[in-house]
Amino acid sequence: MQTLNLPSHLDQSPEVAARFSKLKSRPVILDVKHLNKTFHTHTTLNDISLQVFRREFMCVVGPSGCGKSTLIRIIAGLETPTSGDVLLEGTQVSAPGSDRGMVFQGYTLFPWLTVKKNVMFGLEIGGRSPVESESEARQWIDLVGLSKFENSYPHELSGGMKQRVAIARALANNPRILLMDEPFGALDAQTRCKMQSYLLEIWKRVDVTIMFVTHDLDEAIYLSDRILVLGTNPSRIMEVIEVPVPRPRSSSQFLSPEFLATKARLEELIHGTEEAEPMPLPKIRLTHAGDDVE
Amino acid sequence: MSKGKKWLVPFGTLSEPRQLILLWISFTLPLAVWAIVSYVPFVWHPLVKIDDPGDVSYFTRDALIERTTFKAENAKLAASGGHIATGTPANPVFLPAPHEVAVAFYKSFTTPPKRKGDKWLHESLWQSIQVIFWGFLWSSVVGVPIGILCGTFPFFSRITEPFVDFTRYMPAPAFGALAVAVLGIYEAPKIAIIFIGTFFQQVLVIANTTRKLDTSLVEAAQTLGANRRQLLFRVVVPGIAVDLYNDMRILLGWAWTYLIVAEYIGASSGITFFINQQAKYRIYDNVFAAIIIIGIIGFTSDRILDWIGRQLFPWQKGVKKSLLRAILDRRRNSTQNTETANANA
Repeated sequence: MQTLNLPSHLDQSPEVAARFSKLKSRPVILDVKHLNKTFHTHTTLNDISLQVFRREFMCVVGPSGCGKSTLIRIIAGLETPTSGDVLLEGTQVSAPGSDRGMVFQGYTLFPWLTVKKNVMFGLEIGGRSPVESESEARQWIDLVGLSKFENSYPHELSGGMKQRVAIARALANNPRILLMDEPFGALDAQTRCKMQSYLLEIWKRVDVTIMFVTHDLDEAIYLSDRILVLGTNPSRIMEVIEVPVPRPRSSSQFLSPEFLATKARLEELIHGTEEAEPMPLPKIRLTHAGDDVE
Repeated sequence: MSKGKKWLVPFGTLSEPRQLILLWISFTLPLAVWAIVSYVPFVWHPLVKIDDPGDVSYFTRDALIERTTFKAENAKLAASGGHIATGTPANPVFLPAPHEVAVAFYKSFTTPPKRKGDKWLHESLWQSIQVIFWGFLWSSVVGVPIGILCGTFPFFSRITEPFVDFTRYMPAPAFGALAVAVLGIYEAPKIAIIFIGTFFQQVLVIANTTRKLDTSLVEAAQTLGANRRQLLFRVVVPGIAVDLYNDMRILLGWAWTYLIVAEYIGASSGITFFINQQAKYRIYDNVFAAIIIIGIIGFTSDRILDWIGRQLFPWQKGVKKSLLRAILDRRRNSTQNTETANANA
């Protein structure tokens, strides 16, 4: 196979470099310090430390079993670490709270509530009056473009629409950080593409930091400022990549040199070791030697 | 077979006309078997109903005599040249024909009780329905909250369920004598038996239903800031409502099965008393009528509950907005609008 002559993913254009220095001058929203998580004897997270800046979009990628979901669930407060700290704007996090919104892969809309009531849920339990939460909820439903469906029940919506409601519901709570655990993983390829550009549009308009777990490398590059690459055996942070693709992002950038260079680096980090040894399998039910496919 | 789908498709669906055909068959088939046994003389008919006793001393008109005895007596008479008895094949008294039951169905409501002070059929039925209602209500008032708590919090599950599990193996009727000693002989011990029969199952069934709630909904609510109390009332309860409702329908069916036992306890009453009295008088037509009435009450009340369930839970897939729901929604929206108007003013 011909190898493309790609620039290094570390080469940043002056605009991109300026963007990153500006980003890093912003206050730290999320500070993860020496996080460890052990299930029985199996180490899922090993000494994870990272900082996420205000209004940053960070994706977390890594091979399956690297603990990317565990990491985000610990930050959400849904799981407890074996050791280490999670600080949100300097405050220790130990239980789930409305300051960290979460969008899950499965559709977690409350099936007994309409779209509007789903979005109002967090506001109402936070003590806002029904009238106030309703008008607030309407704005968020507007933002995700579902005004026509505010009185529909979740089962009447498509997968993409459900996730848009889930995003609106999480954002309505005005969280400091939005945690997304493979939110588009169950969607078909076309819907997923639309949802990605949708999410970027929303992120532009809202003061929120996003941490996004995915196994889709294109998705990670397309969305992120920085990509956190986790490894397994031993589990660790392999690299934090600053994506050199300029913003605003568009799908035409998928074939740009910076994009491909980043992808090549990610492939190297994640799949580099996997392809080395093909699994030895016995040949069964091959009666003629001429039936070989390769 | 090329046209249309096959009837037997594993986990498939049947068209509406086919469903109706099968529904019809499911009721007419047993009825047809009953009719055949009753009306076709050579199918069973082990007895002979005497039309003319002839010269047999102990035969009387309309008496039911074993077929073999009847033949033996007639053979004796034929040999001695006596007047031969005649009769028609008949079924035992405990298997009345469908038309007899149908007549009894009507008559059982119109005939006054044989003994003064005994209850009419509708009075007996009403008594039974009240016993079921109170037994099931008390059981649910206690059992549903405990079940939900057990399903939600492992703490309540550990502190309650082992004992409940132990107790539910004790047959409810075994508590009969105790219930009478404590609660007297009238309605109270009967209600207690229904309660005991329902309650322990109810706690376990509802705890299980609660545990089956999609935990990701609970997690979603937690990340939206819900506290324990809000989780319980705003997520767990509405989240299990549909399954809970269906559990209750099944449990109500179980409560009916305890009714007959409960009514034997203390002063026999209700539909059981009616059935026993009629059996004593050997009016089996009425016995059948009463048993079928219990079936009809159970079946129709379940259908009604099913219909109500579909009105209550409009968020279920495939449920169209019903008239009742539309009215409820309209009322709620109008009150909300006035609230908004008041707030603006």
